[in-house]
Amino acid sequence: MKPTSFKYFAVRSVEETVELLAEHGDEARVLAGGQSLVQEMNARRVRPRVLVDLNPVSGLNLVNAENGLLVLGAMARTAAVESDPAVVLRLPALAEAASRVGHVAVRNRGTVGGNVAHADPAANLPPVMLALDATFTARSESGEREIPAADFFRGPYLTALEPEEFLTELRLPGLPAGAGSAFLEVSRRGRGWGIGGVAAIVSLSGGEVSDVRIGLSGMGPTALRAREAENVLRGESASDETWSEAAEVAVREVDPPNDANASAGYRRHLAGVLVRRALAVAAARAEGSQA
Amino acid sequence: MDTVSREYRWIGKDLKRPEDPALITGKVNYTNDVSLPGMLHAAVLRSPHAHARIRSIDATAARELPGVYAVLTGEDALEFIDPVPCFAAEAVEERAIAVGKVRYAGEAVAVAAADSRYIAEDALDLVEIEWEPLEPVVDAEAAMDPDAPLVHENLDSNVVYDQTFAFGDVEGDFARSDRVIRRRLRWPRATAAPMETSGAVCRYDEASGRMDVWSNTNFLNFVAWTIAGTLKMPPHKVNFHPMHTGGSFGSKHVLGKQIAIAGALSKATGRSVKFMEDRADNLTANDSQGPERLYDAELAVTDEGEFLSVRLDAVDDYGAYFMFAITGNTNLMAQITGPYTIGSCETGIKAVLTNKNQQTVFRGAGSDVGNWVLERLVDAAADELGMDGVELRRRNFIQPDEFPYKIPTGNVYDSGDYPAVLDLALEHADLDHWRREQERLRAEGRYIGIGLATAQQRSTFSSTEFWFHNPAPATGLTTSPESVRLAIGPTGGINVTTFSPFWGNSPETVISQVVAEELGVDPSEVSVDYDSTAHGLPSAGPGGSRMTVMLSGAVRGAATKVKKKMFDIAAHLLEASPDDLELRDGRVWVKGVPMEDRSLSIADIGMKAYWHKLDLPENMESGLEGSFTYDHPYTSMPSDDRKDLGAFYPIMGHACHVSIVEVDVETGRVTFLKYLAVHDVGTVVNPRSLQGQIRGGIAQGIGITLYEEVRYGPDGGNMTASFDEYLLPGAPDVPNIEIHHHETPSPFTEYGVKGGGEGGRMVSPPAITRAVEDALAPFGVTIGEMPITPDKVTSWIREAREPVE
Amino acid sequence: MIQEDFLTVRVTVNGVAHRIGVEPRRLLSDALREDLGLTGTNLGCEQGVCGSCTVLVDGKSVRSCLMFAVQADGAEVTTVEGLARDGELHPLQAAFWEKQALQCGFCTPGFLITAVELLRRNPDPSEAEIRDAIAGNTCRCTGYEHIVDAVKMAAEGGVGERIGTETASDTDIESEVIAGEGS
Repeated sequence: MKPTSFKYFAVRSVEETVELLAEHGDEARVLAGGQSLVQEMNARRVRPRVLVDLNPVSGLNLVNAENGLLVLGAMARTAAVESDPAVVLRLPALAEAASRVGHVAVRNRGTVGGNVAHADPAANLPPVMLALDATFTARSESGEREIPAADFFRGPYLTALEPEEFLTELRLPGLPAGAGSAFLEVSRRGRGWGIGGVAAIVSLSGGEVSDVRIGLSGMGPTALRAREAENVLRGESASDETWSEAAEVAVREVDPPNDANASAGYRRHLAGVLVRRALAVAAARAEGSQA
Repeated sequence: MDTVSREYRWIGKDLKRPEDPALITGKVNYTNDVSLPGMLHAAVLRSPHAHARIRSIDATAARELPGVYAVLTGEDALEFIDPVPCFAAEAVEERAIAVGKVRYAGEAVAVAAADSRYIAEDALDLVEIEWEPLEPVVDAEAAMDPDAPLVHENLDSNVVYDQTFAFGDVEGDFARSDRVIRRRLRWPRATAAPMETSGAVCRYDEASGRMDVWSNTNFLNFVAWTIAGTLKMPPHKVNFHPMHTGGSFGSKHVLGKQIAIAGALSKATGRSVKFMEDRADNLTANDSQGPERLYDAELAVTDEGEFLSVRLDAVDDYGAYFMFAITGNTNLMAQITGPYTIGSCETGIKAVLTNKNQQTVFRGAGSDVGNWVLERLVDAAADELGMDGVELRRRNFIQPDEFPYKIPTGNVYDSGDYPAVLDLALEHADLDHWRREQERLRAEGRYIGIGLATAQQRSTFSSTEFWFHNPAPATGLTTSPESVRLAIGPTGGINVTTFSPFWGNSPETVISQVVAEELGVDPSEVSVDYDSTAHGLPSAGPGGSRMTVMLSGAVRGAATKVKKKMFDIAAHLLEASPDDLELRDGRVWVKGVPMEDRSLSIADIGMKAYWHKLDLPENMESGLEGSFTYDHPYTSMPSDDRKDLGAFYPIMGHACHVSIVEVDVETGRVTFLKYLAVHDVGTVVNPRSLQGQIRGGIAQGIGITLYEEVRYGPDGGNMTASFDEYLLPGAPDVPNIEIHHHETPSPFTEYGVKGGGEGGRMVSPPAITRAVEDALAPFGVTIGEMPITPDKVTSWIREAREPVE
Repeated sequence: MIQEDFLTVRVTVNGVAHRIGVEPRRLLSDALREDLGLTGTNLGCEQGVCGSCTVLVDGKSVRSCLMFAVQADGAEVTTVEGLARDGELHPLQAAFWEKQALQCGFCTPGFLITAVELLRRNPDPSEAEIRDAIAGNTCRCTGYEHIVDAVKMAAEGGVGERIGTETASDTDIESEVIAGEGS
C-alpha cells in the first residue's frame, strides 16, 4: 500500500522542530529512522498530515560518555550504537539489544530515540532503558524536561510524550563497577522480531547479589521491570537455584499478549526461561563473584 | 556413490544458466516493470468482513477525486467482465469484484484506476459502504454443521464435495491385519507467497476490439480462452504476452481475478491499466492457499511389519471458492501408497467451504500432504511395533524389478530403485554416530532428534487428474502438451521459442542443453525466447514439475524435424543418402568420411536453406525450422466406474531425507544440525539447477513444518497479512543441505528425465517432523500437526509431563 | 485530503545526477523505479520485511520502501543497475551466476546490494556471518545456500578490498565518542 499525503519539512535545527510541532500538534509526526513509522504509513494505519524529518539535523546522533553517563543522541543510528566502543565496553546489554533490532538495513536507518519513542511492546531497547533507569530528554516549546524511563512507557505505542514533544537525548547512567549485563531474546526465526526479551544487570559482592535490574519486552502492554523478582534477588547467593526462584517470581509479574506468533501462555513461560538465563549470563560477567 | 549421467555430452552438466545475466543485472521485465504510454494504476478496496452483504456502495466521491479515471463496484463491472474461470463442476461462482455479498475478509468490493497507485488508494478511501455483517464460518467442522451459515446460498450445504474412493480390497486387508495404526493428523493452511506478487497490465483497444495482457499468469497457451471468457471477449482477440515471473509455486496458474480487474478498468477507461497486488493483497486474496486438512488416518499392518492397506479420511477447508475443485486431493492419489507395496487404499474427501480465501495449488499440490500423512503412519507403526523405522520402510519397498508398477489407484510408477536411494542416504547420514550423540547429549540435558523419510515426488501431470473425481465431467480434458519452435537461421544461429513463461525454473537452460545434445553445438549458441498466445502452440506451462520432461520432449521433437531437413539438404548436396550421414560437433558428415570438404556446417546448410533454393532438393520449401508439440508421454483414461484412475502421474521420482535437529526444550525452538537429501529424478539435466530446486523446496518444507501458517481470527479476520506474521524462513533458518543423486531413468520420457521441482518440499516435512518427535521422545510427545512452533513444543512437553485427563 | 506541492529532489543514482519533482509521500522505491526508470529494484512487500527493495544510500543498505524520495535529496544512491561497469559484471554478480545463486531473480538485486555492503565492511566473512548479514533479505526460491556460496566465492576473489575503494561513502561517521571526565 501507499501512504496518504502529508506536508513535509526537512528541519535543520532543534528549534525549527520545536516550532513546527508547536504549530501542528497532533497532526504532525516526527520522522526519525522511519523503520516503524513509514511501515505504518504505508499500510495507512497512521496518516499524519505533517511530517517533520529530523534526519538532516546535525548533532542529534552523537554518543558521548560524560560523568559516568552514556548520552545517546536520539537520532543515533541503532547500527552505530551497536558497534560503538563506549557502548560495547560499558553497556554490553545495550549493544546486544541493539544488535538484535531487525536486520542490517533496519539498524542502518533506525534510531535509538525512534525505537524508544515508538514504544512497540516487543521492541528491544525499552527493557534495557528500564533496567538502566535511563532518562529521556524531551523538547518542546515549553523547554526541556527529563522523563525517567520508568514513567515513559504508558501503553502499546503510547508514551509520556505530548504531541508537540520529541526526544533529543537518552541519558543512561553507568553501571555499578563490576556489574555484568546481558540481553537475551527469543524470536520465532533466527532473526527478526522477538517474542520476548530480557535485559539483566547483576552486581555481585562476596558471591551475593548486591544489585540487580531486570527489564522485559514482549511481556505486557509496555516493556516492564520485574521489580518483585529484583527484590527477591537482593542479598541472595549467586546460584542456579537463585536465578530459578527469581524467574518464577518474574513470571507472576508479566501480563503478555496473545498474537499470531505466540500465545500469552507461551510468553509467560518464556519470561521465566529468559529471566533465568539472562541472570546467569549477567552474573557470570559480573566481577566480585569470589568472596 | 552418486550415480549421475555420464553418457551425454551436455545433459548432466552444471552449466551456468543463460537466464541469469539479465536477472542479475536487473534488466528483466517483471509484470510490475511494464510501463505503457498513458498507463493507469489500479488499487482494490477489500472487505473488512469475512461474511457480509453489501447493502449499499457509493463511489461518487471517489470518482470525483482529481487523477481518478474510473471506480468500479462489482455491479459496475458486470458490464465488462463475467465470473472468473472455475474448473470445478460444482456451481460455485466467483467474480473478481464481489456483487452483493462478500465471502472472505479481503474480498474485492471496488477497484479504482488513477494516475498513480497512491491516488487510486486515496480514491478507495472515499468509497462509502453500508454493510450487513453475517455470521462467518471459519472452521471446517463448524461449516459442516447443517445449521451453519451458507457461504454460497445457491448450494444446499458448505460441504461442496463428499466422496470416498476405494481401490483394492480395503475391508479384507484391514480384516486380516494384526494391528491398525491410527492417527489424527492436521496439515496447516499455508500459502505460496512468492517474492513477486500476481498482477496484470491490460490494454483494451476499442477500435480493433483487441485486449493485450501482460501478466505473470501461466496458462497463456493452455486455458487462456477461459480468461477471454471472463473478459467477455473472443479468444483470438486476447493476446497474452509472456512475462518473466518472480516465482509462483502454483499461485500464478490462472490469475483470472487480477486480469479481470485490470481488463475491466481498461475497458472502462480506454487506457492501459496495471493492477499489481501488493503483499497485503497477496497474503489476503491471492487464492493460492494450500490444503487445510484434518485426517483420520489408518495403516493396517501385520506384526511382522508388512503394510497391507491405508485408509485416509480427510476434511479439507477449501475457503470461499472452489476454482480448482478437489485437485489438491486427487493429486495425492498419484502416490497415496508411497514407495511401498501396499495392496489397497481408501481415501475419503470432504471439501468444505468456509469464509476464507480459497485454496488452489501450492507446490506439492496435496501430494506433500499425502507424503506427510503416510510417513507419520509409518513412523507410528515403527513405534507401536517396536521396530526400526529404516528397516520397516525397506521391508515394504517396491523392488527395482517390479517397475513399471501400478498402484491400487491405477496410477503407474515408471521406474525407481528405492533400496539404492535409502542405502545412499544411510551411507552418508552416519546414523550410528548421531544415535550415540543423542544419548550423550541427553545425559547433558540436551535433546537432538533424527528423522528419516522415504517418499515419492510425482512429476508431469496429466490433465485427467483435474476431473476424474467427477463421474460425469464437463470437458474430460486429456491433453497436457508442451511445444517449442526451433529455427536455424541463414548463418546457423539457433533460436528456440517457448510458449510458456519463465517461473524461476530454468527453461532456457534445459532447452539449450537439449539442443546442444541433439545438434552437437555448444549450449551458448542457442538463443531462447518466449512468445504469446497470438502465435502460441499448445503449452501447459510450469506446474506439477513437468517442464524438464516436457521441454526435453518438445525440443527433441523439434530438433529431430529440423535435423531431418538438414540431412535431406546435406544428402542432396553431398550426394549421399541421408541414412549415411551423421551430425557431430556442429557439422554434418558422411559416416566414415572424416574429410571436412565432404561435410557441411550447420551454417552452410542454413545459408542454403534460406538463400539458395535452386540448390535444395526439388519440392523442398525454403527455410529451416520445425515446431513440435510433445504430448504427455504416458497417460491413460480412468475407467468409467473410477475403480482405476488410469496413469495420470507416472513419471515418478523418489527421495530419502535425513534431518537432524536440536530442540531447546525450554524455549521450544528447533535448529538444524544436519540435513541430507538423496533424490532420484531420473536423468538429471543440470545438477546445480536441480540442487537449487531441492534446496529451495526444502526451505519451503522447513517453512510449513516450523513457521508458516495462514491464520484467521474467530471473526474471520486474516491475522497473517504481512511478512511479520506469515513467517518465511530466512538464511539463518535454513541449513546447508547435503545432496546426493541417484538416477533411475524413466522408460517413458526423452533421455529418461523426470521432474524434480517439487521434491524438496514434498519430502522434507515428514523428515523434520519425525526429527523433532524423536528429540522429544523422552517426554512421550507424539506430533500430529504443524507448524511445530515453540509455543506448541513447550505445551506438548508440559502436557506430557502432566497428563491432561 | 491534502494534495501537496511537488518538491525537487537532487539525487545521484549510480553516479548519474538527477533532478526530479516528487510528492513528499512518494517512496524512494517508486521514485527509482518509475521516475528514473530503474526497475531493477523490486517490490516484494512494501511492509519493510522482505528486503527485495534494498539499495545503498550514501553507502548504507536501506529498505527503499521505508524511505521517502525527498529524504534522498543530496544523497548518493546505488541500485543493482550500478553494479556492472562498462559491460563487465560486478564480481558478486559473476559469483551469483557461477554458483546459481538465483532462480526467479526477483529478490536478487536486494541480495546483491546487501552483499556489497557486507564485503565492504567485512571482506572475509564466515558462513555464519554471511547468513546473519543476509537475514533481512527473503528468498523463496533458493534456500539461500547457493547465495552464501556466491558471497563466499566473491570474498575469496578479493572483492572486499576492491569494493572498499569504490565511490560510495563508507567513511560516514554516524556517531562520535567524546570522552568526558570521569569516564
